Formats: sequence, structure tokens, C-alpha cells
Amino acid sequence: MKIFFIFLLLALCPLDLMANDKVLNIYIWANELPSFAVRAFEKETGIKVNVSTFENNEMMYAKLRATKQSGYDIVMPSSYFVDRMRRQDMLEKLDRTRISNWKNLNPLFLHPAYDPLNDYSVPQIWGITGIYVNQRYFQANTISNWTDLWQKRFDSRLSMLNDTREVFSMALLSMGYSANDRDPEHIKQAFLKLKTLMKNIKVFSTDTIISIMIDEDASIGMAWNGDAYKAEQENPNMRFVFPKDGFVIWVDNFCIPKNARHRDAAYAFINFVLRAEVGRDIALATSFPTPNLAAQKLLPEKIRTDPTIYPPAEVMKRGQFQIDVGDETAALYEKYWDELKMSG
Amino acid sequence: MKRPNHFKHFSLTTVWLWLFIFALLPFALMIVASLLDHNETHIVMLPFTLENYTQLNHVIYLHIFARSLIIASFATLFCLLLGYPFAYLIGRMQNVRWKNLLMLLVIIPFWTSSLIRSYALIAMIKAKGIINAILLALGLIHQPLALLFSNTAVMIGLVYNLLPFMILPIITNVERLDNRLIDAARDLGANQITTFRKVIIPLTMPGIIAGCILVFLPAMTIFYIPDILGGAKSVLVGNLIQNQFLVVQNWPFGSAISTVLTLILATFILIYHLASRSNKKKQEWL
Amino acid sequence: MRKSYLTLIYLFFYLPIFTLIFYSFNNTQYSLVWHGFTWRWYVELFNDGDLWIAAWHSFFLGIAAATFATVIGLLAAVSLYRYHFFGRRLVNALIFVLILTPEIVTGASMLLLLTLSQLPLGFITLFLAHTCFCIPFVIVILYSRLVSFDKNIFEAAKDLGAEDGLIFRRIILPLLWPAVLAGWLMSFTLSLDDVIISYFVSGPEFQILPLQIYSLVRTGIKPEINALCSVIFLLTLALIVSAQFALRKKS
Repeated sequence: MKIFFIFLLLALCPLDLMANDKVLNIYIWANELPSFAVRAFEKETGIKVNVSTFENNEMMYAKLRATKQSGYDIVMPSSYFVDRMRRQDMLEKLDRTRISNWKNLNPLFLHPAYDPLNDYSVPQIWGITGIYVNQRYFQANTISNWTDLWQKRFDSRLSMLNDTREVFSMALLSMGYSANDRDPEHIKQAFLKLKTLMKNIKVFSTDTIISIMIDEDASIGMAWNGDAYKAEQENPNMRFVFPKDGFVIWVDNFCIPKNARHRDAAYAFINFVLRAEVGRDIALATSFPTPNLAAQKLLPEKIRTDPTIYPPAEVMKRGQFQIDVGDETAALYEKYWDELKMSG
Repeated sequence: MKRPNHFKHFSLTTVWLWLFIFALLPFALMIVASLLDHNETHIVMLPFTLENYTQLNHVIYLHIFARSLIIASFATLFCLLLGYPFAYLIGRMQNVRWKNLLMLLVIIPFWTSSLIRSYALIAMIKAKGIINAILLALGLIHQPLALLFSNTAVMIGLVYNLLPFMILPIITNVERLDNRLIDAARDLGANQITTFRKVIIPLTMPGIIAGCILVFLPAMTIFYIPDILGGAKSVLVGNLIQNQFLVVQNWPFGSAISTVLTLILATFILIYHLASRSNKKKQEWL
Repeated sequence: MRKSYLTLIYLFFYLPIFTLIFYSFNNTQYSLVWHGFTWRWYVELFNDGDLWIAAWHSFFLGIAAATFATVIGLLAAVSLYRYHFFGRRLVNALIFVLILTPEIVTGASMLLLLTLSQLPLGFITLFLAHTCFCIPFVIVILYSRLVSFDKNIFEAAKDLGAEDGLIFRRIILPLLWPAVLAGWLMSFTLSLDDVIISYFVSGPEFQILPLQIYSLVRTGIKPEINALCSVIFLLTLALIVSAQFALRKKS
């Protein structure tokens, strides 16, 4: 027993380095910030960066909500979570005078519905939820709306994202409603419509979607354009369709949580990442669309003009940003989601 | 004798302290939370209410619970059927070195992430996976088997991940088997099967029960393995609670579901305990 | 017949591992189908210091938590077996509750508890949480073994004047040793793979492997993780097998 306690004490020693001021703790999506970018920042500024990763917004939010002393200086919520977090006073107001590279951002992503004054979030990566089609089995040009997914020929061929909001947004859009609809009557109609889709659905998955696309476990379904682009590189049969009845645009943003202890380092980091060359390198490494216009301009032409990753402006107009629907509506969505899955 | 029993006091104090802080308090927190309300800015808040429990009175929750129960039961059954012979054979080995090595060899694969192993399972049973490739090459089938995203896949995944939890407790029990009892049964004229039924199984029963508990309980609340192998096409109790905590941000309701789950399973165990009391021979288990 | 059954089950355990190792050489980023042989994931792995640090942290945490949990679990199991004390039934019930409670409930309530205690999130909080959820498993394994003991041994020892501490050290412990080992192994396994509880109580400065893996999976598995798991697996296998051989030489 005694030996064990000594062991424990020795283990605690390295933790004293916590007192160091030149530290930055960031809490991000894995694979959205390549390590070379972090290393470059460390080299330039001498600030040690501790990278923690999370796998979905809900877990990140639950943790930050349960403890105001999480220890993180930068977090990376997606669109409607920024909305939720700022309304619950979990985020710091950003001092934009400290972010000189703000000008590099694409105006399309400024003043989004989830953060109209842009004072809490800095967009870093974005994506669109659309329809991927495996050209080998189905012709992409025969599919143009979300409603098309209900066709009988897709029986057991469909894959859906395993996300309540995404699936319901899709159904709402297919009926002409807003993706962020709160009307219980509309939501009920969406639920009833989705029930009829269940026999077409082979799998719900957000994590393994890329391998599902490439290995052809499903031939058509919901996917993010970034993922479809990656799948395209390994399976040339992949096509992506931006539905005419509208689609959801999501954005992953850098935010500074309340009680962050290393704000200076946080601002330095955000500014660093917004540089055009850094943004370009990150976009190349992650294969995700970037909201950094200056970086986008530096990308090789093949990527810059790829319609899957950077669709033209007229297409972008059909998109809607996701905003928070509030706890009560979220509960309603979730109740229908349970019923939907158990009805299949 | 009135000598102070240091050992006893030390043990009890340590155990009680630990369990009080880390088991009783969180459990109490959970029950209290289930009786509270919540809103957007507060995880839990007054007033006290029974609404979280009355909300559960809906056929969908019964459906979800029943489904989880069935899956967990089958998983436990398969683990028992596969695991008992294995544990028995290993536990009865005379060579201690070999036995320990074999026991360790069971555990070592499980020190790699269960998620990665589950993805390896996916790679094996996919339509374009290894198993199908082999079967097709051998000409045994002409169309790839649709193993992935089915109930079969879920069961394979569950049994794969929970089998060691059945094997380890049984091995430790089998090791204690007294050969003299087995020899005595033989001398009295019992054949192998009768010996097994009347002597070995009752003697290893504590191990069997321990194994079943350690498999059944986690199986009731696990959800990510059924999700990735089954295609997430149904909702289990684990998904339900997870979603209440994370997506809906309704911690009181999530706590209520968890409490009810605990109560229902406790009832099962209680019934078993009362039933076995009437057959009580030696020590009591729970 | 016996040998073939054992081999079959071992195959069942190891085939996915072999698949995992096999796919670590797969020349593809996202597909789960074979696309050709490559070493590049191992190269990437050796350049990725963060993953190695996280792996080391996880092992260290696992050893610490498993040991502590086994010690407390041992005391608890023996106490439950030998003594009739106040609250015995409650302790029984608590153990059961601990195993049953879904990880997310345990994680969330532990986080709330630890936040109230003002402890900074990091190794200590992880250590406490891991020890906590391992203890009931240890108790269940140990108790099931204790139950088959012959109570007469203890009576005899007590009659001869032995006090409880001695009985514990000289009689109970040696007889219980294999079960203690089993309990330790199970705790270590549980700790290495725990995600949800670890997620809630971990801090920014002590990275652990399961969390890294789970979040990397979100945006597509790269065979780099397979490479890491393969390396860890082969290392531990080599360690265990060589330890067994070394012990064999000694006797």
C-alpha cells in the first residue's frame, strides 16, 4: 500500500507544470485541425498547445455545462450550438480588434442566423448536407430533391445520417418548411412522412459514412459534401447532389468559453489559423471546405473549382444555417425520433 | 475476546468511505435529479416533481425496454453457452503456467480499443468484407451474405465484447473444484453427464451467476456496438438515456429512466434471490 | 475434441485482431476493403507523438486504477463475506447499482460531484472515477470465489488465536490469489477502454487514448489507428509471453 502511495505522489509531480502561463488548451473536432498547424503555432509563439478532441457537439456541450471550470481556452461548437451556448452565457464575447485576419473570411459566412453579430464565433470549417449518389447503380441526374429519396427503387439502399436534427431538417425541407421549424404540427407531419421512408433505409450512420459510400454498403443517401468529396477520391462512381428544395449549411466555429484562463494565447491562435497560407494548408490536409476566402483563393485550381466542395453562389443561396430550436422542441424531435426508429 | 479487531475496522472504514463518496452520493444525486425539473439555463432546478416518472408511462418506452431486455438476455445466454465449456476446460488444467498463459491470452485482445475491434468485425462481415470474399471464392455462396446491419451482427458484436466477462469469473470458480467430489460421484456410479449436472454445475453456480451478472447488466445499457453493427435502426435503453442527457438536455428525465431501469432489474434479482432461498443449501449469494 | 473447441474460441477472439493488423497495412484512407499494401500508416504513427503520449497515459492510469480498485475490492469482498455489519445489505445494493448504472449517468454525476469538490479535471479525477467503476467488478469476482470456501478453516484459525489481519494475510489471500489476479485484469481492461465516463472527468492536460480514438473515428477511420492498436497488441503480447517464459526458467 505504502509503495503505491509513493507511486501516486511521483505521478503527481509532472502536473505541477500546470502553473505555466504559456499554455493553450483547445477542445476541437478531431481531424479538423492537422497537427502540423498546431506545431507551427507552437514553434512561432513558444506557447504549448494541449489538444483535446470530442466526437460530437452534445457531449462537448454537456461537459461544459456541468462544469464552468473545464480548463479549455478554445472550443469548437457547430452552428446551432453556438446559438445555444451564447444564449446560456457560456461563451465570451470576442474582441474583434484582436483578430486582424478577420478580413480573410468569406462574407457568405458572416452574420449567420446562429450568431447574427458575429461576436461569439469565428468560422473555421463548413459543410452542406446533401445527397450522394453512386453512379454505378443510379443516375445522379435523376435525383434533384429530397423527396426523390422516397422512391420505391431505393428500397433498402439508403443510408441516413444518425442525427435527429439532420434527418428531420431533410424531411421538413422536402415539405417546403424551414429546416429549423418549431411548429409541432409541421414536425408531426415530417415524422409521418419519415415513417414511410423507413423501408428504404438500410443504415443510420454518421461515423462510418465515408466507408459506407466507398465500399458501396449503401448506394444513395444523406452525406456532407466534404465527406462525399473524400469518398470520390477513392471511389470515382461517387456523385453529389445539392437538393433543389433546400439544404442545411453547418459551420464549425472557434469560440472562447467563459472562464478561459489563457485568452491572449487564444486570440493569437485564432489569428494564426485565419492566415491565408495556414488556412490553405489546413484545407488541403483536411479536405473540408474552408470559410476563409483568402485561403480558398490560394488553393489549387482542381479543388477551388470542384463543385462538390465549393458549389457556385446560386447553389449556396438555397442553403439554410442551422439554429437552435430550444429544449422543448428538441425534446419533441427526440420523442418522434425514438418512435421513428422503433417503427422500422 | 475483547481484542480490538484492527483489520476489521480498517477494512470496513475504507470500504464504507469509498462507497459512500463514489457510489451512494452519485446514486443519491441521480435519484434527486430525477425528481427535479429543468430548463434551458439550469441543468436541474426546483420545484420537485413526479413528471419525469409519469412521462415514462408511454408504450414506446415499454417497447424500448423490452427490446433491450431481449437482446441482453440472448447475449448472456450465448456468452454462457460459449464461455462455460471454455472456462471449464481452462480452469481444470493441471499445468498452472499454461493455465495462466491461456487466461492472459484471452484478455490481451481486449486491451485494444473495443471500437477498433468492432470496426475490424465490420471489415470482416461487410458485403465486400473478408468472410464474404472467402465464401464467394470457395464457391459456397453466389451472392454476398447480408450480415452487416442486422440483428445477427449485433449479437456477434455483443458476444464478442462481453465473453471475457463471463469466462473470467467461471474460471476462478472451476479452479476451486475439489476432485474428490467428482471422484466420489463416479464411485457412486454416476456417468459423466450426471456428474456434470448434479455435482459440477451446482458447485460452479456462484461463478455462473457472477458471469451472468457481469454480462447482462452492461448488455442492458450498451448502445454503440448495436449502433455501428446494427445500423442504428432501433433504440435501446442506452441510446434513450444517452439522448436524454445529450441531445434533449433533460438530465432529470434521463435520471428517471436510469432509476426505473435499476429498480426493474433489482426486482428481477430479488425474485431470483427469493426463489433460490427455498433451495438454499450452503451460503447465500446476494 | 477439447483442443479444437479451445482453438475455435481463441480464433473467435483473435480473428478480428488479425483483421485489424492486416488492415493497418491497407493502402486507403477511408475504405474498409483491401486496396494494397503500404507502410505509410506506420510512418505517420511514429511521427505522431500525441497518440503515443495518450497511449502511455492510458496504460499508467489503467495500472494505477486497477491496483487501487483491486485493493479496495478485496477488502470489500472479504468484509462482505466474513462480517455481518451495519449496512451490509446497502453495500450489496450499491455494488449492484454501480454496475448497472449507464456510463453516461455515472459520468455526469461524477463530474458534478468532482466539480463541487473543486478538484481540477485531470489525472486525479480520472483515477478516482476509474477506480470507482472497477471496484464492483472486482468484488463480484472475488466474492463468487470466496463463497466456495470452507468456513471451517476460519473457525479453526480463530480458535487457535489468530487475529483477523493474520487470517487475511496467511489464509485468505493465498487462496484467493487467482481471483485477485482475474479482478485486476478485468479492471485494467475496463479502464483501458472506458470512454464515456473518462470523457466527462478528463482535463485538457492529461490525454488518454480511448478518447482520442473515439473522436478520430468521427471523421473517418484512418488505418493509422489500426497501426497503433497493432503495435500495442504485439508489444503486450511479447511482454506477457516473455514474462511467462522468464518465470518458467526461475522455477
